[in-house]
Amino acid sequence: MLRSDHILATVEMIQKENLDVRAVTMGINLLDCRGGGVAETCRRVEEKIGRAAARFVETCDQVSRKYGIPVVNKRISVTPIAFVGAGFDRHGFVELALSLDRAATAAHVDILGGFSAQVEKGMTATDREYIASIPEALARTEKICASINIGSSHKGINMDALALIGQTVKDLAELTRHQDGFGAAKFVVFCNQPGDNPFMAGAIHGLEEADLVLNVGVSGPGVVARALERLIQTRGRENLRLDDIAEEIKQTTFRVTRCGELIGRKVSEELGNEFGVVDLSLAPTPTVGDSVGEILEILGVDVVGAPGSTAILAMLNDAVKKGGLFASKAVGGLSGAFIPVMEDAVLAAAAGSGALCLEKLEAMTCVCSVGLDMIPIPGSVDAATIAAIIADEMAIGMINNKTTAVRLIPVPGKEAGEIVDFGGLFGASPIMPVRNVGKSSRFIAWGGRMPAPIHSFKN
Amino acid sequence: MGKQMVMSVMSKDRPGIVADITGVIYQLRGDLADLNQSVLCGYFSMILIASFDDAVTPEDVVAGFSHLPSATKLEVVVKEMETPLEAAFEERSQEVYVLTVQGQNKSGLVHRIGLFCCQHEINILDLATTLSRGLYTMILQLDLSHVESVDAIRTDLARCAEESGLHLVLQHEDLFKATTEISLL
Repeated sequence: MLRSDHILATVEMIQKENLDVRAVTMGINLLDCRGGGVAETCRRVEEKIGRAAARFVETCDQVSRKYGIPVVNKRISVTPIAFVGAGFDRHGFVELALSLDRAATAAHVDILGGFSAQVEKGMTATDREYIASIPEALARTEKICASINIGSSHKGINMDALALIGQTVKDLAELTRHQDGFGAAKFVVFCNQPGDNPFMAGAIHGLEEADLVLNVGVSGPGVVARALERLIQTRGRENLRLDDIAEEIKQTTFRVTRCGELIGRKVSEELGNEFGVVDLSLAPTPTVGDSVGEILEILGVDVVGAPGSTAILAMLNDAVKKGGLFASKAVGGLSGAFIPVMEDAVLAAAAGSGALCLEKLEAMTCVCSVGLDMIPIPGSVDAATIAAIIADEMAIGMINNKTTAVRLIPVPGKEAGEIVDFGGLFGASPIMPVRNVGKSSRFIAWGGRMPAPIHSFKN
Repeated sequence: MGKQMVMSVMSKDRPGIVADITGVIYQLRGDLADLNQSVLCGYFSMILIASFDDAVTPEDVVAGFSHLPSATKLEVVVKEMETPLEAAFEERSQEVYVLTVQGQNKSGLVHRIGLFCCQHEINILDLATTLSRGLYTMILQLDLSHVESVDAIRTDLARCAEESGLHLVLQHEDLFKATTEISLL
């Protein structure tokens, strides 16, 4: 028997609190698409994606209409493309990117991820060609996202790849100078990259996955924020303790996750595909009221970046997992609170006022998902400094056995404080200053590998 | 198998009504199949279904109730069921939606929604209302299995909401089960 108050709580969540399913991502294995040459491989890739995703968007829309819950993004992730294009040169990889872009457009999906490689221990000649292709591939395509895994807790950090990537990010931004370096917003560097993450730009269809699988990314910072405001208003701030707040976050996340699980299962059923995981991330959007930063402010810091921000984020991240894990049959992907500066209006404002600096963001990424994400920095910052910022973030992931990632946008010709606006879900923010620029090049120049950490004697 | 009867009982609420009612059925060697009871503002109402031997008539059942030494009078209606019990327990529709209606209290609200459902061939399976500080809330479980297009219903509901000033939300029942029950689907 459904209880009236539960029904009304769910109605509130959907109608007034921005509840949506952020992404349904169809993972497609492309390893069987390899042909004799670039042209044949491209043709097979387009055919397979066309076949697999023929009814995907239409079915998501149907299920979304039936349940009255918006599915904001319909996406595709594919096998890391460096495996599919083994032996290709950089031009071959650009052709593959163009082919994937055509397939994504034909399938009517928003974005396709998986223009990727995994080089955490070493790079093949193909991997180097792939990396060299990234700037042109992303500058010439609309819907393609790229990612590269350069570190892991078991293999350490590939410092040769890291140095190349610092320069790649610079080149990518420069090649898309007319769009304020937007190309760099479609490229993310990982440590411990998961193979079932539905969120972009880092979605891939991991080698360990089945041929076709659907993963769902739920959202809900707005829902959590409104639930907390309501709790504080009805119970009174003076009658609440922090554990009451954590409990409310858990219960809200349970309901949010269940909506994602329901939509994921129904779309999978309709399509006859395997349902993979629900990713429990709190993913903000630039829309006012759908912000992770706002939750931190509701919970007691006057501005994000003030002392206490990391502690609150740690509790939020943990409560989200506790509530979500029980709600879903299988949880995976990134599963944590995101703090992408440009995509979160409150974080962007805090960055603009100087309250939130890069170092504090780095500290916050130690306790949440996913890393230094969507951060515009001055275009004048050199490649070695960018590589060193990435190295710091990779080390956090490697040592703490968690996923970390970096998506920096060195905006060509612009300096700290100037505004950059990519529109839509990519958002806008003032450019954040980078301190100590140009002081890390001796470290990056070493190359080689940072050895994997010891996995015992943990203190 | 005998015959099935449907009974409706209404009374001022007090302890012991369920014992009284089931006692009458037990004495007539009846077998209770299903029942549903509710109490509203101190008044008790129950609808129940039971099977009896062929010899038992609805009049016998009513007589059984009238002989109860009861502190409050039980108003009873008894009818023999037209369809056999098995057919009545057919599978529940898969197209059950929940409509929530909220608005300032005024007369004719329930009628307006009832009429909307009637005009769109929607059967109301369950209806509960509450009034709190002038805010009237109705929660209806609706069977939309005879509806051709749920999208069209949503469009008409949006128009109805605009005309009436009511806040109307239609969602599939599965969604509420998913968000409130421990086991999923």
